[in-house]
Amino acid sequence: MRAEERSGWLLATPYSAFLAVFALYPIAFAVVLVFLQWDLVTPPSFAGLDNVRRLAGDGRFWQAVANMVVFLSIHIPLQIVTALALAMALNRPLVLRAFWRAAFFLPVVISGAVVAILWSTLYATDVGLINHLLVRMGLRPVPWLTDPVTAMPAIAVMVTWKNVGFYIIIYLAGLQYIPRSCQEAIEMEGATTWQRFRHLTLPSLLPQTLLVVTLSTINGFQLFIEPYVMTGGGPLRRTNSLVLYLYTNAFSYQKMGYAATIGVALALMIGAVVALQRRLIGTADAQ
Amino acid sequence: MKALGRVALYLALTLAALTFIYPFLWMASTTLKPPFEVGTLTLVPDQMTLDNYRTMWARAPFGRALLNSALVATTITAAVLVFGSITAYAMARLRFRGRPALNAATMAVLLVPGQLTLIPLYTLIVQLGWIDTYAALIVPYLFNATAILMLRQFFLQIPQSLIDSARMDGMGELRILFTIFWPLSRPVLAIVAIFTFMGSWNEVLWPLLVVREQHLMTLPQLLTVFALGGGAGSIGVSLASAMVLVVPVVIAYAFLQRHFIESMAGSGIKG
Amino acid sequence: MPSVTFDHVYKRFGDTRVVEDFDLTVTDGELLVLVGGSGSGKSTILRMLAGLELVTSGTIRIDHRDVTALPSRERDVAMVFQDYALYPHMTVRENLSLGLRLRKVPRPEIDRRVEWAGSMLGLAPLLDRKPKQLSGGQRQRVAMGRAIVREPLVFLFDEPLSNLDAGLRAQMRIEIGALQRRLKTTTIYVTHDQVEAMTLGDRIVVLADGRIQQVGQPIELYRAPVNRFVAGFIGTPRMNFVEGHLGGDLGAATFIAEGARVKLTRAFPLAPESSAVVTLGVRPEDLRLSPADSSERPASSTLLGRVVLVERLGGTSHVHLDVGAHRLMASVSDSALPQVGDHVAVGVPSERVYLFAADGRALR
Repeated sequence: MRAEERSGWLLATPYSAFLAVFALYPIAFAVVLVFLQWDLVTPPSFAGLDNVRRLAGDGRFWQAVANMVVFLSIHIPLQIVTALALAMALNRPLVLRAFWRAAFFLPVVISGAVVAILWSTLYATDVGLINHLLVRMGLRPVPWLTDPVTAMPAIAVMVTWKNVGFYIIIYLAGLQYIPRSCQEAIEMEGATTWQRFRHLTLPSLLPQTLLVVTLSTINGFQLFIEPYVMTGGGPLRRTNSLVLYLYTNAFSYQKMGYAATIGVALALMIGAVVALQRRLIGTADAQ
Repeated sequence: MKALGRVALYLALTLAALTFIYPFLWMASTTLKPPFEVGTLTLVPDQMTLDNYRTMWARAPFGRALLNSALVATTITAAVLVFGSITAYAMARLRFRGRPALNAATMAVLLVPGQLTLIPLYTLIVQLGWIDTYAALIVPYLFNATAILMLRQFFLQIPQSLIDSARMDGMGELRILFTIFWPLSRPVLAIVAIFTFMGSWNEVLWPLLVVREQHLMTLPQLLTVFALGGGAGSIGVSLASAMVLVVPVVIAYAFLQRHFIESMAGSGIKG
Repeated sequence: MPSVTFDHVYKRFGDTRVVEDFDLTVTDGELLVLVGGSGSGKSTILRMLAGLELVTSGTIRIDHRDVTALPSRERDVAMVFQDYALYPHMTVRENLSLGLRLRKVPRPEIDRRVEWAGSMLGLAPLLDRKPKQLSGGQRQRVAMGRAIVREPLVFLFDEPLSNLDAGLRAQMRIEIGALQRRLKTTTIYVTHDQVEAMTLGDRIVVLADGRIQQVGQPIELYRAPVNRFVAGFIGTPRMNFVEGHLGGDLGAATFIAEGARVKLTRAFPLAPESSAVVTLGVRPEDLRLSPADSSERPASSTLLGRVVLVERLGGTSHVHLDVGAHRLMASVSDSALPQVGDHVAVGVPSERVYLFAADGRALR
């Protein structure tokens, strides 16, 4: 036992040291930073609750929060509906099933930066593909990324598109678990296709739906490269995400204390929202 | 009319799949088009040209960025696999007093959103003088909590008898890990390798924070800076730079898509 | 009058023939059992009736109405599945009432029926529980309750007792039988267990390789099996089979096998040609054992055997014997059991003997 204990400690030490330096210290220091003013050039100075007070009254911060609300309220329902619909379409013996699945999952593996650049051009008002199609259909082109009203929704649709493959996999796994005999039973009881979906499929997928909601929320709060590349946070700061605002404060304004404060607020927000979601959607019972 | 339903289904699926694949095809073909053809729907350019690529290559050090990304991603992946396995082995099969605490700490770390630790990590890098160094890009990623937990989970299932007989033969712990556990762990090692590599290859926020020098930038970072900074000058050129990042991934994905899906879906990590 | 008619029904999966020429009428209120081994087609037939499988050719009628092309939900049949198929996220009450709720039956009627089914099956205290909180037997009852509540034309049971332990199975068998007799609904019951078939069925259909082997009341199948398969399938323990040929003359034919000669009192239509291979069948419970040296000869033919194994089951015991080159089993009462190694006289009553031709047909 002594030898094993020694080996264990030995092998685990590098990781423990790493955790201490790169995980525990930053978490602790993040909280400390909230109370400091620091531009990285001059030594940090104690600022008391200045950062917190500033955050409370910071219009741009609250605009970013509002932007996140807009984003999530479009992204989450859209994500659920498209992922579920495509998963149900794929959940049957199909020719080339692996091909469809690979096609939908492709954007997931592509870098967010690339997707952002690509969709910038797709959304471009004059030369963009989307407006091109709209004009072809006889409709008017929309200034997707330059109109304050459409910009964030446009980004939300793009992020949904990028990630749907991932959530299809989650829903597909859940669909496999619905026993075939239950599906047959409910059909014999007189259920139409819609009734079968509503009374059996959907309730059975509650754990997966909760997972989709939670993960898209966390992912949504991490929104950065998309607004960074596509809109720079505009127009009128309507696509400024919280992480983007945090980055700007750190990198452009050199305000470490304030940026850290935004970070802490963001972390608390994520925690609160996720906890609320679990409460509302219910504890996901695995069957 | 079940047959009709099936036809409709395939039609809908084709349409949907098209919306996922077509943009990339369009992107690829646009990079081969001269400026006046950009913005058209046609996939095959009337006048194919490699000008966009030549311009892109001349204007910014993409070759260097490619090498940087490859270096960083490979180093990180190798480190995560090796160090992660060592740590996971200790946590799974060796009993030592700090083990439960380490376990709890690892899982707790996964719960903390990255945004919280972003700034402190940045300040740490600054204080260490690591701005504009490979160290800044690599060191914070040498250990990956998700990978460790995954490997640990897998290592827990390997029968104790293998370890016992190896110890009786006089093998040391590391020997046991690499000669016995590793060959048995190919599937999970592949999964970890893929999501670690992909995560690093696509990572852009961290490099944007800690690297300023162009010749040290990673590919997605250079691509972003290039596209935003106006260095591209035209859509064709910025998309060409995007292609450099995408093509290796698509090729790998075409051959290994089942592994990609298994890896990235199973680890909960998105690109 | 809800009877069920299968009119020359065939089922093929690709090139495999699963059900061949299933032609049968189930009378109103009857409990018909489909019994056979795996691959016999019994479940497929049930599922075709349920509407869960398409019929390759032939028609199925319920109550003179051709349902062959109708989807399940329009057939007014209810099924109890082998794994119960309870909806895991619903309470027992919701499970029972779903079918009625889907059909927009008025609430008071739903409540009345749920209570009625609940009390009949002892489910009243369980109504607000979820399936995962119930035992296997309770879940099975809920599955039955769900079928009853709909008051369908036909009940279908797909091996409902397979997942229960032996004791529970025996008890549920009795309950199902009582329930069906009380409700008088036409019922088709699939099982691989011939004991279930014998105790529950008003009539039994024995299936093998997708074909009907025999249809009849349990006692008919026991006493007068039409072929070797049915003879070996029905009756526990299994009938003894010995292969040999016929000898002697027409009036007093003898069955001859290595080390065994059995006098046959009935006239069999097969002329005693020494070359035709026949199989003799005799049930273990019809063999009479007596000590080899005693002068008693309780049966018309006696064979000499040596005891190889005695399985004591309590009231009865199974005695395994070597008779010549054949292994037979006798089922005897507990008193006066021989020991292993004893030589015994095995009495074979000729009136209880069965003869099967080479193709399996029973010879009468």
